[in-house]
Amino acid sequence: MNEELDSQLSAMFDDELPSQECELLARRLSRDGELKSRWGRYAIMGAVIRAERGVRLNAPLAGRVSAVLLAEPSLAAPRSVGLRRTGLRWWQPIVATGLAASVAAGCVLWLRAQSPGPALTAEVTARPAPLPDVVAVTAATGTNTPAGSYVVPARSKKPLALVPTTELANYVVAHSMFSSPVARRNLLSAFMSSEPAGAAEELPDAKAAGR
Amino acid sequence: MPRPPGASRPLLSLALTWAVSGAALAEGAGKGPLSPAQWLERMNVALTTRNYDGVFSHWHGGRVETLRIIHRLQDGTVSERLASLDGSGREFIRTGASLACYLPDKRTVLVEERPEQQSLVGFPTVDADTAQLYELREVARTRLNRRDTHVITVAPRDEFRYGYRLWIDDSTAMPLKSQLCDPHGQVIEQIVFASLKLAAHIPDSAFKPEVATAGFQWLRNDPAMPPAAAALAWGAMQLPPGFKMTAHSAQTLPGSPGPVDHLVFTDGFASVSVFVERQTAAPNQPAVTESAAAVGSSSAFSTVIDGHKITAVGEVPPATVRFIATQLKAQDQPAGADSRPH
Amino acid sequence: MGADTSDLSLVHRVQRGDKGAFDALVLKYQHKLVKLVMRYVRNPAEAEDIAQEAFIKAYRALPQFRGDSAFYTWLYRIAINTAKNAVVSRDRSPVEYGLDRTSGDESYDMQNRLKDSETPEGLVLTDEIRSTVNAAIDALPEDLRTAIVLRELEGLSYEEIAAAMDCPVGTVRSRIFRARETIDRRLREVFEGGLGRAEELG
Repeated sequence: MNEELDSQLSAMFDDELPSQECELLARRLSRDGELKSRWGRYAIMGAVIRAERGVRLNAPLAGRVSAVLLAEPSLAAPRSVGLRRTGLRWWQPIVATGLAASVAAGCVLWLRAQSPGPALTAEVTARPAPLPDVVAVTAATGTNTPAGSYVVPARSKKPLALVPTTELANYVVAHSMFSSPVARRNLLSAFMSSEPAGAAEELPDAKAAGR
Repeated sequence: MPRPPGASRPLLSLALTWAVSGAALAEGAGKGPLSPAQWLERMNVALTTRNYDGVFSHWHGGRVETLRIIHRLQDGTVSERLASLDGSGREFIRTGASLACYLPDKRTVLVEERPEQQSLVGFPTVDADTAQLYELREVARTRLNRRDTHVITVAPRDEFRYGYRLWIDDSTAMPLKSQLCDPHGQVIEQIVFASLKLAAHIPDSAFKPEVATAGFQWLRNDPAMPPAAAALAWGAMQLPPGFKMTAHSAQTLPGSPGPVDHLVFTDGFASVSVFVERQTAAPNQPAVTESAAAVGSSSAFSTVIDGHKITAVGEVPPATVRFIATQLKAQDQPAGADSRPH
Repeated sequence: MGADTSDLSLVHRVQRGDKGAFDALVLKYQHKLVKLVMRYVRNPAEAEDIAQEAFIKAYRALPQFRGDSAFYTWLYRIAINTAKNAVVSRDRSPVEYGLDRTSGDESYDMQNRLKDSETPEGLVLTDEIRSTVNAAIDALPEDLRTAIVLRELEGLSYEEIAAAMDCPVGTVRSRIFRARETIDRRLREVFEGGLGRAEELG
């Protein structure tokens, strides 16, 4: 145990650490499980001294809050994720060359590592890889091998032109009968809460419009 | 920390008598712990067999909508009504073998009658194969709106599928909150129940639409179309890892002229439907080669192979529907040969 | 070092996307918040639920926190509002997650649910923690004990304690630190030893 560090921790807990050192220690504190545990025990000591009766001293409250926060969007993250999808979108007929796709390496990053804490964030399985433009494609088969080698094209960055059809509605409804119950809920809810026709996005390439 | 008045006090006499409080919390009855897979199983059973009436919010793409769901299983027949409570006024009602989709914004009602044996569809089950594709975990036990819930995560091991976080109610196994996450862990869709009632009886009147349909066009399918109408048998050359074809039928879709082959591929958790129909290009229209669309977080992709329009729809990333759709190929089999799996 | 520098540095980190920093704030204030909420609800488990809700609300509202007031003051207000709302909505007939009591349904007693605790050991642990800390404090040398009690019980600043104990501020800091270290040695045993499966976040 680093005594100087712990002494700083104790002072910071009492709001008696100069702000510059606070900044540094705050960063360490957020990432260091040991430090956090110690900090938590300081709080327990205070609670006992103040004889806060009826309060559970080992309440899993902090753990629960932390777990809930894992699922919350990060406060610093941009609001929209990926392409803006506001509900039922119309078809885009893409003539000729098809979707322009850049190829990205398969990269599974389940939960972004916030703080390498204990069990709560242990499900982070990261195989971080940069995203090059082209990656070799190796054959994928229909068997159950996990896709370590197949390369998945990234989403197209072209905005979609909008063309009305009830055909998509048909497919959605027919497919919904085969989704898992939870997925079905998502699918039909999105479908039910779609924007009415007319809320179309403009495609810069006018030639592709129309059906 | 708040400071008491008179900060410079004399030293206190510190006769410390710490009274120990006895917080008398009663323990609840404990269940033997269930595995995540068991929780998913229970959840699926609850969703498909319980009667419930709930209001939930659906978050997607930065927007939130409120919807109501009513579900009933009675005498082996499922009735279901899903309605938007703000905005579109759309409704989806299912009574047994009949599905109706009310689209007031398009003044249309889509009605599909399904053959009896397709009324109750089994749901994907989680098994050892699924474990290779998804990592299942119970990551926390937490309270959600004063209900005890298990937080189960279903994390995809590759980029072909999405993942879930599910807050499953300990007592009823209903998913009180669910999140759909893309392969990078970003939440792209969320459903949270604001209220949920599990009732013994739900009357038939609960499944009548609120939409007034005067003047609407009604599009129905033709249930009389014989199943063998599809001339060719279709299969996929290659599939993303873990996907298998589990259903193959022919039907018509409301408003569509001819028979449509409907294939279903699933990895045990996510499913993708592929619809195959003879392409009929009207004159003066550009030939549609490829198109893509999205319904919420679900993806759709359409392409043309051998004069047939292939459309794949599923709750998977866009690249996956594209992969599957482009891999379709007509098998060299005589018409009527049974290519139905198991 | 003005008041609140420690909280502010953590808050700023959270606002920039560091969720781990919020854990530290929760750890620091959870007991105070639960204690506060218990003015509105008697039941400790329910108070914990409400405190949890308050923390989540605070997290979501954090982008709007500008530092005009102390963080704890701001958090305190959120907790009071949450507690008041919870009491009001609880007193209405429960529609949320209510289950029909007609035959064929699961009968569900909300009160019993609320009294649920994590494990039977949870209770034992609270008492064990309390007595361990108390015993450790009693065993402290007087100057260490005085320093930490003045700090935690009376809320005096290091300067004020230095004046009361007639010693330099540096000594106060060191005494409090050493007091904590001593108590912590005993406390860690409770958390890490035997069945002590105390919930530790960190």
